Amino acid sequence: MKTADAIVIGGGIVGAATGYYLARQGLKVVLLEAEYLCAGSTGRCIGGVRQQFGTTTTIRVAMESVRLFSTMEEELGTRVEWYQGGYLFLAHSESRKSEYLKVIRLQKEVGLDVDFISPDRVRNIVPPLNLEGVLGAAYCSSDGQANPFLVVKAYADHIRALRGEVVLRTPVTQLKTSDSRVKSAVTLNGEEYTAPIIVNATGPYARNLGNMVNLELNCLPERHEALVTERSEPLFDPMIVDYRPDGCYFIQVKDTGQFIGCYTPDPRVDGTRIDNSIEFIKEMPRRMLRLIPSLKEVKVLRQWAGSYTMTPDGSPIVGPTPLEGFYVAVGMSGHGFMLGPALGRLLAEWIVSGKPSIPLDEFSFGREFKTGETLK
Amino acid sequence: MKETIICRCEDVTLEEILKAIRSGLTTMDELKRILRCGAGQCQGKSCGLLIAQILAKETGKPIAEILQPSTRPPFKPIPLKATAHDDV
Repeated sequence: MKTADAIVIGGGIVGAATGYYLARQGLKVVLLEAEYLCAGSTGRCIGGVRQQFGTTTTIRVAMESVRLFSTMEEELGTRVEWYQGGYLFLAHSESRKSEYLKVIRLQKEVGLDVDFISPDRVRNIVPPLNLEGVLGAAYCSSDGQANPFLVVKAYADHIRALRGEVVLRTPVTQLKTSDSRVKSAVTLNGEEYTAPIIVNATGPYARNLGNMVNLELNCLPERHEALVTERSEPLFDPMIVDYRPDGCYFIQVKDTGQFIGCYTPDPRVDGTRIDNSIEFIKEMPRRMLRLIPSLKEVKVLRQWAGSYTMTPDGSPIVGPTPLEGFYVAVGMSGHGFMLGPALGRLLAEWIVSGKPSIPLDEFSFGREFKTGETLK
Repeated sequence: MKETIICRCEDVTLEEILKAIRSGLTTMDELKRILRCGAGQCQGKSCGLLIAQILAKETGKPIAEILQPSTRPPFKPIPLKATAHDDV
């Protein structure tokens, strides 16, 4: 039997950030990871970080995340390849344009520096972009990118430095409760870790953990595929987002010059399967080249897949649960890497002081899942 | 040793790999994700076995127990235009 002040289950961005901020508040943290750091969704994401969202809470959390990313290299003492190249949401129709104009009003109210820009300005920002049918774009220059592996490793190194433990290759097989509160986590190797606080940050596997304590978590994984190309000369800065039904989104990684991107499959591919499809390697290049034809000779190095763990309304589930001591930060709906640093900090505040400094009612476990995140 | 390049695509040296293994990255998957060895143009076809040997030696495991990272398509780099049409 081992004891800790808090056990965090999951070695992706959400678990690592939560563990780091709990450790910084003086708690002895044990982080349990089934495989290795970033083996799940975080290590399969394409590293974009944006603040352009459609609900007040998510915009505020995302802005806090960007603040944390901006100071991260100094705070954690290591490079994480943070770069603020912006996000560009293209509008190819009047309806998309008015949707963006509406959401931009909300974003501005919350304090985000964002604008709907003309096709001419779009051309200045991404010179090789095919402007055919482009009516303009929602653009926020302080959105950015970072390297998920380096961010999570930095958090984990700091958890260890703050007398915590990061235990890899150790899946949790059982959660024990006593007197209607959570008591301990038992791992595959038979070890039992006891703590008054247990955080479920297991991404696509969150429901399994919830089921161990008879708590139904309203989130389900879907497969999303991605590809990355060889290194190229710098061509443009922002993440280009094309929300048309056959659109895609991709970015040039600042540090390595590779193009990396994905699209949202239709129909959805439910489940935790993360194999590759031949459709994707045909569709994704077609969609990319429609936007930037001059990329046609750039070579694809590999394709892979990961999970978006979706909630019905597209917002995460974060905070306490009806089971005393059992907290969740799950259902990131494809935004775990970008929201993770802020959610980790806010959840740690919530656990330690009883209240997060940004209200997270919109993300609560018990909500009705009615309102929708428009910028999924 | 500083000059011994193990991953030629991403310029990763033997010294960097040894340092990473000793810091706790004990699988090829972890080394690839942090150092990028095997993530470049040849996708580990040149350095994969070398890294496995280094890991086996450092961790004391038989080389048969050192797992290679997942092989991902395409088998060799192909231009975006190669598959971007319907008659593939």
